[in-house]
Amino acid sequence: MLGQLSRRSLADLARAAPTPRWGATLPLDDIAGELAITGIGETAVTGPSGRTPRAMALDAVAAAIADAGLRPADIDGLMVSGHIAEQIGPDDFHTHFGTQHPLWFSTEGGAMIWAATCAHRAAQAMRKGIATHIVNVFAVDWASRRAAGTGAPGDWHAGEELKAQLEVPLGWLPQPVYFATFARRYMHAYGLTETQLATLPLTFRRHANEHPQAVMRNRELTLERYLASKPLASPLRKEDCCLISDGAAAWVMSPAERARYMPQVPAIVDGVGHGCVQGAPYISQQQELTATPQVFAAPWAFAMANTSPAEVDVIAVYDCFSSTALMQIEDLGFCRKGDGGSFIQDDRLHYSRPRQRGGIPCNTHGGLLSHGYLLGASHIVELVKQLRGTAANQVQAAERAVYAGFTADEASTLVLSRGAQ
Amino acid sequence: MSIPDYHHSLTGPFWQGAAQHELRLSWCRPCAQAIWYPQAACPHCGAALHWHVLSGDALLITWSEVAAGLNPHFSEAYISALVSPVEAPTVRLVTRMVQCAAQDLRCDMPVTVRFEKLQQLHGEPYVAPCFTVPQG
Ligand SMILES: [Zn+2]
Repeated sequence: MLGQLSRRSLADLARAAPTPRWGATLPLDDIAGELAITGIGETAVTGPSGRTPRAMALDAVAAAIADAGLRPADIDGLMVSGHIAEQIGPDDFHTHFGTQHPLWFSTEGGAMIWAATCAHRAAQAMRKGIATHIVNVFAVDWASRRAAGTGAPGDWHAGEELKAQLEVPLGWLPQPVYFATFARRYMHAYGLTETQLATLPLTFRRHANEHPQAVMRNRELTLERYLASKPLASPLRKEDCCLISDGAAAWVMSPAERARYMPQVPAIVDGVGHGCVQGAPYISQQQELTATPQVFAAPWAFAMANTSPAEVDVIAVYDCFSSTALMQIEDLGFCRKGDGGSFIQDDRLHYSRPRQRGGIPCNTHGGLLSHGYLLGASHIVELVKQLRGTAANQVQAAERAVYAGFTADEASTLVLSRGAQ
Repeated sequence: MSIPDYHHSLTGPFWQGAAQHELRLSWCRPCAQAIWYPQAACPHCGAALHWHVLSGDALLITWSEVAAGLNPHFSEAYISALVSPVEAPTVRLVTRMVQCAAQDLRCDMPVTVRFEKLQQLHGEPYVAPCFTVPQG
């Protein structure tokens, strides 16, 4: 089943004849092998903590810099999310670390799709000599906000003008409703059963149960309990929906030629892809309901990396909803469209079944469903640990890892490999 | 909470139509097609758009039974749905299925408009174009 997508070059993809499509691939420059992730840092991922995103971000940044064997003054680039409130800026960095050197700053970082595309942006900055060691950080306090009633992940959707007029008054909110309707259509098209869908939350929960930092580490989940629970937005149940968490994660990106002399095993960036849906941001109008824009992102990233799904050892997929993760596993090219429900059976996503035995371990930290909702930032940290050989649920001989990022109307792909030291 | 604004420059006529039990979409005459969501002008030819009254017949693209409490704007459980009007098959109209049970629904079945009064918590009621399964 693996290896549907044979190796294709970026030139092949760029030449491909335009066909009527519901989305498009953004043609990113080839940055294969130019940079590596050389340091990772994270705070605890928790429920309501009372901590501010800035305080958590600075803790994660400090941890990532130390992990990379660097000093704060060595960091000359800072990337954060431009889409989530209360991220840090250069002033916060300097105040916290007592530094005052020039710091290149970009808001094209963070999590979601940017957890992948920030590497491409960082490579551009390195090529121009603007920055050498760039830290990307993402922090969120949605658990505290929800507890205080001062904000929710659906706020942007509810506030967007046309959504506010044409969707909210009819009840198309919050986000589980969007993805529940997509999942229903997928079930109709491909015969996916609720028991098959449950494989994702159940596998990710088992990963979390063996991961000391996962929010759901002590909460076991059985198929019986899953099926007995009433859907929140049919066919999606609570366990199919991401957690709401507080926490931060960060990573340092460095030129690959320097990475080999730094303390950690480098995670080399081999490929980046970025796809988007036409007519965004109104995903209600997406013409293809049973796929994600990952179909436009992944081929570019695999081509840049000169590899294919058949050569991937571990993946981390943006699992805001179980069904979204399932569609992306297909859209990445690990199995044929519509075969996902049967493909993921027999522990194929569990860390104990490596590629050599037909597995494709997925979200080995528990994902957004059971580790915590850091919007994909923890996914990257987990993949780096897998490539270093230090993960809690270590995949045997993990040499190549792929992150699939998702932001409803956009998707991204990051191909990483274990570098030499 | 977002209450329909009957005077909104782009979407007001949609809700004014609903109040008169008319299902309207913004439409480009030269292109002979719906432009949805509404825009200031046709993105294909630049022509001014007008509001076209539809038959109300549609296909049910998909739906979800939303449990009470998930959506903080409404107190009750309801069936959220996307339908495509027969005159505009690429449009996904955000709506609700009403006067029917979820177990009777299947994707691609014909449905028909049914204007219903909706009310959000702490808001005034408004007439909305919902859909139902045709009888017989
Ligand atoms: Zn036109």
